[in-house]
Amino acid sequence: MLSMNNVKKIFRTDLVETHALNDFNLQVDEGEFVAVTGPSGSGKTTFLNIAGLLETFESGTYMLDGKDVSKLNDNQRSVLRNQKIGFIFQSFNLIPDLSLFDNVDVPLRYRGFNAAERKQRIEQSLEMVGLANRMKHLPSQLSGGQQQRVAIARALAGEPRFLLADEPTGNLDTKMAHSVMELLQEINQKGTTIVMVTHDATLAAQAARNIYVRDGRVSELHDVSAMPEAVNS
Amino acid sequence: MFETGPILRALMRNKVGAILIALQIAVTMTIIVNSIFIIMERKELMARESGMDEANSFYIRSSGFAKDFNNQVTVQEDLAMIRGLPGVVDAIQVNAIPISGGGWSMGLQTKPGDDQDGVGVAVYMVDEHGTNTFDVDVIAGQDFNASDIIWRDGDRNDWPDQILITKAMAEDLYPDEDYRNAVGKTVYINRNEPIIIKGIIDKLQAPWIGWNGLERVMLVPQLMDFSAYRYLVRTEPGQRDIIMPKVEEMLASSNKGRIVRELRSMQETRDRSYRRHSAMINILTTVMVILTIVTALGIVGLASFSVNRRKKQIGTRRALGATQGAILRYFMLENFMISTVGVMVGAALTVGLNMWLMQAFELSRIDWYLIPVGMVVLWLVGQIAVLGPAKRAAAIPPAIATRNV
Repeated sequence: MLSMNNVKKIFRTDLVETHALNDFNLQVDEGEFVAVTGPSGSGKTTFLNIAGLLETFESGTYMLDGKDVSKLNDNQRSVLRNQKIGFIFQSFNLIPDLSLFDNVDVPLRYRGFNAAERKQRIEQSLEMVGLANRMKHLPSQLSGGQQQRVAIARALAGEPRFLLADEPTGNLDTKMAHSVMELLQEINQKGTTIVMVTHDATLAAQAARNIYVRDGRVSELHDVSAMPEAVNS
Repeated sequence: MFETGPILRALMRNKVGAILIALQIAVTMTIIVNSIFIIMERKELMARESGMDEANSFYIRSSGFAKDFNNQVTVQEDLAMIRGLPGVVDAIQVNAIPISGGGWSMGLQTKPGDDQDGVGVAVYMVDEHGTNTFDVDVIAGQDFNASDIIWRDGDRNDWPDQILITKAMAEDLYPDEDYRNAVGKTVYINRNEPIIIKGIIDKLQAPWIGWNGLERVMLVPQLMDFSAYRYLVRTEPGQRDIIMPKVEEMLASSNKGRIVRELRSMQETRDRSYRRHSAMINILTTVMVILTIVTALGIVGLASFSVNRRKKQIGTRRALGATQGAILRYFMLENFMISTVGVMVGAALTVGLNMWLMQAFELSRIDWYLIPVGMVVLWLVGQIAVLGPAKRAAAIPPAIATRNV
């Protein structure tokens, strides 16, 4: 599903070069639920941005669902992102001026679905997250957990092969976080590949596989309790 | 894929900025369209031809003051001298100058009597060189000849037996007939004095550019035995500016018993007469340009503010699959929708302002096509103004969606 080999990403300013990812190697198979953890500045977000085609990289190869993305231009990356990837952000990133219906509609419009199909998909996905009766509401009228559920509905409405979650419970209390994690596991069980970036060890423990990133490189962990203290805390 | 629905619903939830810009567009359109209409009307007025050879004509005033100043002799000598100058086509003594602002007028009646209505007419006293100097054509009847010309002194108020009138005057005197039929007919001046229409000239304007009978003119075959009068001179093309100082010098030196002044080309006369119109056009043009710039800046300001406020949102849209083109389109469409409300309100206000101007200042009804033209112009102004901020929005990287600050 996702295959990164020797991916290198460097951020340059006038004074310094920062090697955010260094010979980054990772394979994620279809249907997996992978948690990516690591300390601040380790390269987790850079990995997420590159995996989600939000940023380009200097060298190495990245195959997404069998397609080499390193040669794609900005437009092609946007189209591929829209077709293959669903995003869940830490702060939900819902559009405050749009109703839940219109929020879920955003990626579907870019996909070019007709109005009837979009309506059906929006209703289905909001139904799945238990918010079908609040379609006309604005995000500000919902709790944080409910907003994240809308974001998940938005990510799933286009039926992506691959879900990228960036600290999906980072802004939620324990109860809501638990409910969102249950939902993600349910989605994964239905076959969607999920890669979740988090610094929360408890959360990471709920994923089938854990990846630990440090200094822009990957080390795979099978035992979450073996995670370094900085991450585990 | 256009996002008309979501944009509209989002705008409805954040109305204030959009309403202010729409109102600004409406007011700008109202003022611009009415200004353009006024400018067009003024330009149309300014473009009216006097009928003269304006480019090659000038005039000069002679005022005799010496006790022994002989008007008749001086006029004949002056005209002979001027007409003899190389480069001069012809010259006349004349009582008033077309489009200059000052002149004589009388009323002509088709029937005698105090109870009859007269048609106002501008009077130019000329000799048999009148039509050639004015560069007008006699299109029916006959021109004056030398024997028609009589002298008129300041004490006499009688009129000659014959006149030439413009085609426009003939049509106003005899609205139900062909203008040619006016030739040979008798009209009455000073209520009861008969005059025969000897001929019809094609076109000549009166001295007063704001008069609704601007083209109602009669040429009277009289030389003036007055101490002050003007000479109107027509030159060969390109000779005017050479001959003007020569005539001034010649008149000044030939007779010391007079003052020669007011040497002025017809071009200058036109410029002076239409100065208020030109000033109005300049003011309205300046107002239009400033308003358009202010409106465009308002649109740029609102769009820039909107882009800055929605950076994260734009990044999220990019992350969810929006291409740069889709983001550009979003802002262009949003502006188009705001502008559409603006130009619709503007169209109604334009008609309203025009109706008020019609009542208050007797302006004409606005040409209908100016309204759609104004709408298109304001739409374009909006689209051009929003292009910069929209491009900046499209350049926002999708990775901003994952930043939490």
